[in-house]
Amino acid sequence: MKLALYAGLVLGLVPVQMTVLHYVSLGGIRPDLCLIASCLVGFLLGELEGMLLGLLLGFVQDLFSAGGLWLNMVTKGTIGLLAGLAVRYLANTTPMAILGTILGLSCLSGTVFLLAVRTGGGLAEAMLAVRSVLIPQAAFDAVLGAGLYWLIANRVRTAERVETSPSGLGL
Amino acid sequence: MLVLFALLLSVVFLLPKQSRGLLQNIGNPLAQVIALPLGAFAALDRSLMEAWAGYLALRQVHEENRRLRREILSLRGQNNELREAAVTSQRLAALLEFKERVEPQIQAAQVIGRDATNWYRSIVLNKGEQDGIGAEMGVITPAGVVGRVVKTTPSSSVVLLITDPNNAVAGLIQRTRDEGIIEGTAQGRARLKYIPLLSAVRVGDTVVTSGLTGSFPRGLAIGGITRIEKEEGDLFQTAEIVPEVDFMKLEEVLVITSALPLQETDSGKGSMSAAPAKKRVP
Repeated sequence: MKLALYAGLVLGLVPVQMTVLHYVSLGGIRPDLCLIASCLVGFLLGELEGMLLGLLLGFVQDLFSAGGLWLNMVTKGTIGLLAGLAVRYLANTTPMAILGTILGLSCLSGTVFLLAVRTGGGLAEAMLAVRSVLIPQAAFDAVLGAGLYWLIANRVRTAERVETSPSGLGL
Repeated sequence: MLVLFALLLSVVFLLPKQSRGLLQNIGNPLAQVIALPLGAFAALDRSLMEAWAGYLALRQVHEENRRLRREILSLRGQNNELREAAVTSQRLAALLEFKERVEPQIQAAQVIGRDATNWYRSIVLNKGEQDGIGAEMGVITPAGVVGRVVKTTPSSSVVLLITDPNNAVAGLIQRTRDEGIIEGTAQGRARLKYIPLLSAVRVGDTVVTSGLTGSFPRGLAIGGITRIEKEEGDLFQTAEIVPEVDFMKLEEVLVITSALPLQETDSGKGSMSAAPAKKRVP
């Protein structure tokens, strides 16, 4: 089941990101579904799975991106790893805490891209990229990621309640 | 696990060539597998857009509008070619010399996606190495220059648009024949750099490819000059360009396959070739 889910994510997320995601873009900025998926898997299933899925999703992203064949792979792998480690130190994994964590991780990923991609334009262009790409994308990722986390966590809690209740109906 | 990850990172950074070769070998079959859902999603995207634009916004009017727009683009391209031909023939006639213009070989391709990140302005085409497309080839439409191929897999290729800050194309001002380098800007436009201070460039001038180097033949339209920057103490002028091509509405493009790559790539052995987006004049 888990393998099928990962295969679905690997085969489906990047094509969706490249094609139909522009319908939900704001000001030309799309959320990074691979980053969100790596974070959520890191949060829910631990740092190892977050890192491995991040590496794989990042590699697929690199195949269809104009950058080198390592940038997304390394950043998404790191993000998955850090998400898994971060959730250990959160006292309560509330949607707000998750929102803040994804915001931070997305900003970190964006900073790596900024340093790797936009090095020749000077400070003014770098600041423009921060304002127009890095921050909007981080906010988008955080809101979408926290929303998805809330949905998944609610579903898991409901399923657990049904399983543990004596009647088996969650009553 | 941290050690494992650190080891992986060090392999990527300390042995870049070897790790890139390995990644390319792994990436080839994976890219072909992903090309299937990508094609399906691209078709879905296309049909969604067509349904929205065609049925909800007066289908016939839209169809006619689209036909006329294509015609305008084609005529613009022809017009530009004619102007360029006129300028060229005048110059050549004056020199009592004639040189036959070499027509490039082209390959039509469909746009199936945008860059997988927000950090590059690039498009993905449904044709790749199997169709004779390789890194550094120029990409155009009848209206003008689109960009250059930076990465290919057997069945797809990534094209860096001329509006990306990492791209650079050699160009010249059609009227004054002053040459320069065209770069993308962070705002999604392009600018012509290194125009001589004494150039009589003015707003409205058309910028075309200079044809000095491999990817593009001479005289392909790039865009019109909208602003000229000339600061005191500078050795050159810079002009802002609005590209002729509307990159948001690109559906089909032409890849110039007869152009020779500028520099060697690691694309030997029939594997995926990649020239990651670095500033370079094709």
